[in-house]
Amino acid sequence: MAEKFDHLEEHLEKFVENIRQLGIIVSDFQPSSQAGLNQKLNFIVTGLQDIDKCRQQLHDITVPLEVFEYIDQGRNPQLYTKECLERALAKNEQVKGKIDTMKKFKSLLIQELSKVFPEDMAKYRSIRGEDHPPS
Amino acid sequence: MKTTDARPRDRAGAEKTMENFSALFGAQADPPPPPTALGFGPGKPPPPPPPPPGGGPGTAPQPTAATAPPGADKSVAGCGPFYLMRELPGSTELTGSTNLITHYNLEHSYNKFCGKKVKEKLSNFLPDLPGMIDLPGSHDNSSLRSLIEKPPILGGSFNPITGTMLAGFRLHTGPLPEQCRLMHIQPPKKKNKHKHKQSRTQDPVPPETPSDSDHKKKKKKKEEDPERKRKKKEKKKKKNRHSPDHPGVGSSQASSSSSLR
Repeated sequence: MAEKFDHLEEHLEKFVENIRQLGIIVSDFQPSSQAGLNQKLNFIVTGLQDIDKCRQQLHDITVPLEVFEYIDQGRNPQLYTKECLERALAKNEQVKGKIDTMKKFKSLLIQELSKVFPEDMAKYRSIRGEDHPPS
Repeated sequence: MKTTDARPRDRAGAEKTMENFSALFGAQADPPPPPTALGFGPGKPPPPPPPPPGGGPGTAPQPTAATAPPGADKSVAGCGPFYLMRELPGSTELTGSTNLITHYNLEHSYNKFCGKKVKEKLSNFLPDLPGMIDLPGSHDNSSLRSLIEKPPILGGSFNPITGTMLAGFRLHTGPLPEQCRLMHIQPPKKKNKHKHKQSRTQDPVPPETPSDSDHKKKKKKKEEDPERKRKKKEKKKKKNRHSPDHPGVGSSQASSSSSLR
């Protein structure tokens, strides 16, 4: 799994480096650097071919669109991961609180109903398979 | 099964219990639907109105298996007042009551990202990427979203540039105009500041290190001093013992002493 990403990362790094070198050649172009420029241009084509080959290995990888928003805003995409984890934990705690509260409510309701309708609640417990009221 | 025991129930008994419930809930026509997870009913179909205590015009149909709503559990349908009951969800089902981060072994990731402060800028994530990457993508039309919304028209494959095509890349000599040099402008990195800070912090360190080394040397000297004293004493003793008639001995000692020095 990680090898796929390593390959892609390696190719991307090479590609970025080639682009950087191309930029340096172009920024102060000399007639003698025409051969180097042609070579770099072909390196870029081969780099794009290599990156395109990686696409086949990564067709099953999905990336959330929100990550692209972070990158477009010039923000660290790790912040998205951080916020996702924090949101998940907060929601998890919230749901746990709700479940615990509902459990308490259920036990209290059964307790109170048992006082008013002992026969019915005994039947209810027999249906549920609960011999004793839940505490 | 326990549910089968509850089925043979006479109508009179059922009516009695329903009366009890109607007395409890009063004249509420439509009680709020209880949560289904707790087994008090599906919540979706409204329960039939309970018969009034005095036997009014509203003659509700008796809860039987045939009249059970579609959401209700059929196994417990027709068992008196609990005709809307559903089976409880299994205890093995994964819910929010468990810590899902520990369940999916994400503690390491949580500690990694939430334990310490993550730097805001994109250049902190990709420090080796050239150019001003911290600027918003909309600034220079380099956003990834635009790449998704308007994907570039591509051919089937990437073909190498041949000799005739390369003729189109003959450039003029000389430097680029200033407005086109954006690629080489690097954002002001905080690393320099850090380096400066480090150098500042390191600046006082070098004087300290020699002082430490000096201190060690002094210690060494102090340690060496008694040995030297001993050797000097021995030399003096030897000189005193041997007469000046034996110059070889004296010269060798002199050489050894010089080597020691």
